[in-house]
Amino acid sequence: MNTVIAGITYRALLGRRRIWMLILLPLVLFALAGLLRIVGADDERTTILLMQHFAIGTMLPLLGLIIGTGVIAPEIDDGTILHLLSKPISRPVITQTKFLVAVSLLVLFAALPTYVTGSLLIGNEGGVAAGFAVGALAGGIAYAGVFLLLGVVTRHAVTIGVTYALVWEGAVGNFVPGARRFSIQQWAKSIADQFSDSLALKADVTLGFALPALMLVTVIGVVWAGLRLGRFSLAGDE
Amino acid sequence: MSETSPTGVIHDIGYRHYTGPRHGRGYAVRALTVHSLRGVFGLGRTARAKIIPYSLVAIMMLPAVVQVAAMALISQRPLTYSGFVPAMQVVLAIFLASQSPFLVAPDLRFRVLPLYLSRPVTPRDYVGAKLLAMTSALFLLIAIPLTVMYIGELVIDMRPGESPFGEALGPAVPSPDTVGYLGSMAFGLVYALLLAAVGVAVASFTPRRGLGVASVIALYLLASGVSVVLNAVFQSTSDDVLASWALLVNPFFLVNAVQNWIFGGVTGTGLDYPDMAGPLGALAVLALIALSTAAMLARYRKAASA
Repeated sequence: MNTVIAGITYRALLGRRRIWMLILLPLVLFALAGLLRIVGADDERTTILLMQHFAIGTMLPLLGLIIGTGVIAPEIDDGTILHLLSKPISRPVITQTKFLVAVSLLVLFAALPTYVTGSLLIGNEGGVAAGFAVGALAGGIAYAGVFLLLGVVTRHAVTIGVTYALVWEGAVGNFVPGARRFSIQQWAKSIADQFSDSLALKADVTLGFALPALMLVTVIGVVWAGLRLGRFSLAGDE
Repeated sequence: MSETSPTGVIHDIGYRHYTGPRHGRGYAVRALTVHSLRGVFGLGRTARAKIIPYSLVAIMMLPAVVQVAAMALISQRPLTYSGFVPAMQVVLAIFLASQSPFLVAPDLRFRVLPLYLSRPVTPRDYVGAKLLAMTSALFLLIAIPLTVMYIGELVIDMRPGESPFGEALGPAVPSPDTVGYLGSMAFGLVYALLLAAVGVAVASFTPRRGLGVASVIALYLLASGVSVVLNAVFQSTSDDVLASWALLVNPFFLVNAVQNWIFGGVTGTGLDYPDMAGPLGALAVLALIALSTAAMLARYRKAASA
């Protein structure tokens, strides 16, 4: 953890237009929750629907993508990463710091709004709000690790990340149940399921698989990103 | 000194002037359009830049191949012409998101826009060329698989028969379905125009490619996510009319509803659109195209004067 690098990263992410997207997504979640309130559909089942389809299904992958790649990819694109790499700071420390920044932002923009929305809609009933908040947190950590790695490995990180989130977790996951075992979104859902005793929420992946998988993916992402940055070629690939 | 002497002078240091033919504004715009269209498919760029567009083209061709095979082997159409684009919307959205920043972001980022605008090309021409390039690219992406399906249908003689289990086999719609094909080709252009206008306009607001990709895809995901959630919620409260309106938040279903209104017949998506969806949807599509184009023009006028 290096506080200077953390400060630079926060400024880069929050001081530009990126922040409007980070704010927009939770705002839409709040708006949808408000609408559910108005039409009187704020029961447990619709709350879970909103959480599953929007909070975990749309907002979390998008925020993970924007924040996870955003902490490092623009610097690599601009070449300003050179100034960071030429300082006597261990490269794994750089990636670890950026990972922690990404996680903290995901807590702020994904997990916290998820909890607030859930508890505004149905309070603490069935532990749904807390469950999805913890699920969003765990999923957010894994997304941050994976997309950070993608940002270091390729310049097309966002496109590849989008394809993973949309095609694999979305389209393929809908038709091929086996694909759900290897989906961060489903792992987040398993954790949410663990915390809530609601019958309307049913996870497809057991916690015994989801929890180790989440940890493994995160650790591999962060460690590999550090190694990869260690032998980073400034000449780039394009 | 009371007399003001000129501080900067451009001396003619004897370079030869260009005296050859000048092709003018139209030629420049055409060249820019062709260059942009080639770039969308990665032509003239590195091998890495070709991977993503071509794999997406390959995925778009898959349903056409399956369709032709199904028509030949079991005399059935798994997919209608009008249902093709809504079924492939994720692929089109990814194509749009990954390629539209390429069209506009590098010129902004490397500040070469003044170089274009110092030629006879005006900001309006520039925007037009970029929009035309993206529209043609998307139209090709939609039209080629549709045409392959249609040619397959012309070649294969699908006649109603019986399966080994005694069920009636064969096309539910008469074959060849020329009206369906032509209607879907025409609306392929509408899809392409709408997507290109919105996608390129959103991408033109950031000089960063990554952020551009993320913004375009976020917009699509927001629209489709909101649509799915609202639809499910209204269905659970049995507000069926509101539920069917909620579908139209998704731009692909919006155009599909208009197509269904004009050409009638099967929606191809198995969805029920509200009664007034056609005319209102057409207005919404036109408004979205106009709004995006206007935003983009304003953005480039500002960039030109800056």
